[in-house]
Amino acid sequence: MFGYLQIQKSELLVREYEAYKSVYCGLCKQMGRDYSFLARFSLSYDCTFYAMLLMSLSKSCSGFKDGRCTFNPLKKCKFALCEDDCFSKASAFSVLSVYYKLKDDIKDERFFKRLFIRMLFPFFSHWRNKALKKYSEIDNYLSQMTDLQSTAESDPECSVDESAHPTALMLSNLFALESSSDEDKRILREFGYQLGRWIYLIDAADDYDKDIKNGNFNPYKSWEKDSKEQQMKMVSSLNQSLARAYDAYNLTDFKDFRGIFDNMLTLGLPSVQNKITAKFNGGNNE
Amino acid sequence: MNNPYEVLGVSETATDEEIKAAYRKLAKKYHPDNYTDSPLADIAEQKMKEINEAYDAINEMRQKGKGTDSKRTSGSSSYQSASSSQFYSVRIYIQRNMIDQAEQVLESTPMGNRTAEWYYLKGMCAYRRGWNEQAFNNFTTACNMDPQNGEYRAALNNMQNQRSYNYGGYNQPNMQNGTMGCSCCDVCAAMMCADCMCDCCSAGC
Repeated sequence: MFGYLQIQKSELLVREYEAYKSVYCGLCKQMGRDYSFLARFSLSYDCTFYAMLLMSLSKSCSGFKDGRCTFNPLKKCKFALCEDDCFSKASAFSVLSVYYKLKDDIKDERFFKRLFIRMLFPFFSHWRNKALKKYSEIDNYLSQMTDLQSTAESDPECSVDESAHPTALMLSNLFALESSSDEDKRILREFGYQLGRWIYLIDAADDYDKDIKNGNFNPYKSWEKDSKEQQMKMVSSLNQSLARAYDAYNLTDFKDFRGIFDNMLTLGLPSVQNKITAKFNGGNNE
Repeated sequence: MNNPYEVLGVSETATDEEIKAAYRKLAKKYHPDNYTDSPLADIAEQKMKEINEAYDAINEMRQKGKGTDSKRTSGSSSYQSASSSQFYSVRIYIQRNMIDQAEQVLESTPMGNRTAEWYYLKGMCAYRRGWNEQAFNNFTTACNMDPQNGEYRAALNNMQNQRSYNYGGYNQPNMQNGTMGCSCCDVCAAMMCADCMCDCCSAGC
């Protein structure tokens, strides 16, 4: 469930794109600082989104600094500066979410990939312990999600709503941590819930072929891939989650990075969605 | 009250037109139609009120006196048709966002008493929880059982709007795939190119 929260680059202003990149680079740097050089590889668009959300909510982005990329010292880049622990928090989330993802993958994957994961796993479990000290609540939400997910998947009658619930709940809890008032909490809960639901559903659509082949759980398992009707249903359900997330987002009052968030919610995510759901269209591309 | 200019997100030197445009944009965003049945409906209403007040305040400050200028669509038209409903308590629970209690009452209703309204309310509970699929199915059942009922129909229509994302600004699934043929934009672009080339020629002459 990684990397779906993307921007539509062509529609961003140059300065917005630079700000986005500098958050990405700042986060990457922080991961190197907090965990290790290797941990940087676990960085995803989703965590960048989370970091931006945190910085926007706490209004803690204090500027940008020039520097050089660690992976490519010839490349100059800008780093976003942050007054509080937003980057650390987002790094912790990144490491923890990969940890739980790997843990889950050990069950599902085939032999060689599993071997590879087993080799990686000790690193992440070490980093997890480190992250746990400061951000135990994030770990709580993620482990709750994993538990709920395996319960849901073991139920043969599991509906689409039920299977999406654990991820949605996790994100809803995660976002709600940042609220300063009851009202904010409700808005962020709804935003997180619908966004998490969207992420889960788009991931399920994306993995459909793989899951069917390997006999893994997928909420769309009983569906026929080429059915026009079912593709419509899938798209409608994704649309609705996005629409509700967008409505909730419109009630939030974050100002920093607003242009980037707008871009993601109205262009970036829909284009990801269109790309992924297109394959369910079968042969009749009408 | 906060600075009305800040509420609308415009500077104090903005022209009347700019203020009107900013107000319209926000009003469209917070419009009650976007939040029908949403758990956040009350917050959106509050925001709408704030921008209305800010807009009125600015108009007053600028002493326009043009009453027609501050004309705006106001208020929601939420349905309140069911005071005599047999599920009155459920409705109250839902209104107060006490979804667990509402579902408890619904679940304890015997099969025989599960009317269209029961499905409607069940759908409403699911909607509040964010379980969009279940909500959609229940609203559909309610509408099929009682096609004349405006309340159920409105809920279902709202769902259908969201599912086709009519107001989010992107309703053309194929637009971003680059698979479209010759659109209006393409024609414009081609014209502009042609125009440039003409310019080139004439400059060369």
